[in-house]
Amino acid sequence: MRQPGIYSGMLSGLSGKTGPHSLPLARIKKIMKKSGDDVKMISGEAPIVFSKACELFIEELTRRSWMMTMQGKRRTLQKDDVASAVAATDIFDFLVNLVTEPLNGDEDAPGGTDIIEH
Amino acid sequence: MVDEQERLLPIANVGRIMKEILPPSAKISKEAKQTIQECATEFIGFVTGEASDRCHKENRKTVNGDDICWALSNLGFDNYAEAMARYLHKYREYEREKNRNSNSNNNQTLATTSGDNKDDEELHFGIEEQQVRQVETHQNLAPLEFQFIDKGKSSTSEPA
Repeated sequence: MRQPGIYSGMLSGLSGKTGPHSLPLARIKKIMKKSGDDVKMISGEAPIVFSKACELFIEELTRRSWMMTMQGKRRTLQKDDVASAVAATDIFDFLVNLVTEPLNGDEDAPGGTDIIEH
Repeated sequence: MVDEQERLLPIANVGRIMKEILPPSAKISKEAKQTIQECATEFIGFVTGEASDRCHKENRKTVNGDDICWALSNLGFDNYAEAMARYLHKYREYEREKNRNSNSNNNQTLATTSGDNKDDEELHFGIEEQQVRQVETHQNLAPLEFQFIDKGKSSTSEPA
């Protein structure tokens, strides 16, 4: 998959970073394909858009999680902080089940399994 | 275990993005990094699903950048949608420039992506220059032949 590096300099204004994409395009494409049976063809530009969109997403989730860390007067960002940030943000509703799943990967466990320490 | 990691975004990349926006003294637990790695992966699937649904409804087979922007907006990520629309616009401009530069060396026809007169002139100029260079090269490689055609006076071109 093409990895244009030259134009990234032009676009660096968006995130303040220069250089090639932060996330591998081939992996993004693989994840896109796995998301559904009806995802058959993906244009070359779609993974490139996602590479940037994911960066923004990770930045926002991290920032919000860190706010929770600071509220707890800590300096280490914990998984609980991510769970709290997800709970506090409407558009992150699609992540609620993901951040409260048990660590052993038991997908059949009820969503009420409480692994968040209080 | 290898398969598990391949279905997610690479954790090193995720960690790097996280580090870049946190204060230098901040620490990140391994679990937190893994959680955000999974969340970001889920984000791709979530948005792609929405984009793919739209393509399906409109009888289109290929999910493109516009569909991703639309899906982002539809799912509440309005600020991402705006930023990505700008990003996509610049990327497409870049691709057009790239194609134009390679077309001018190969095609006699104009690139169809540009309606700008100035660009057309540049394209024409590029083609003419290339043709001139080719002629010069041929003359260098086979001077005798050209002399024969042009002047007909070279002693070497006459039958022995």
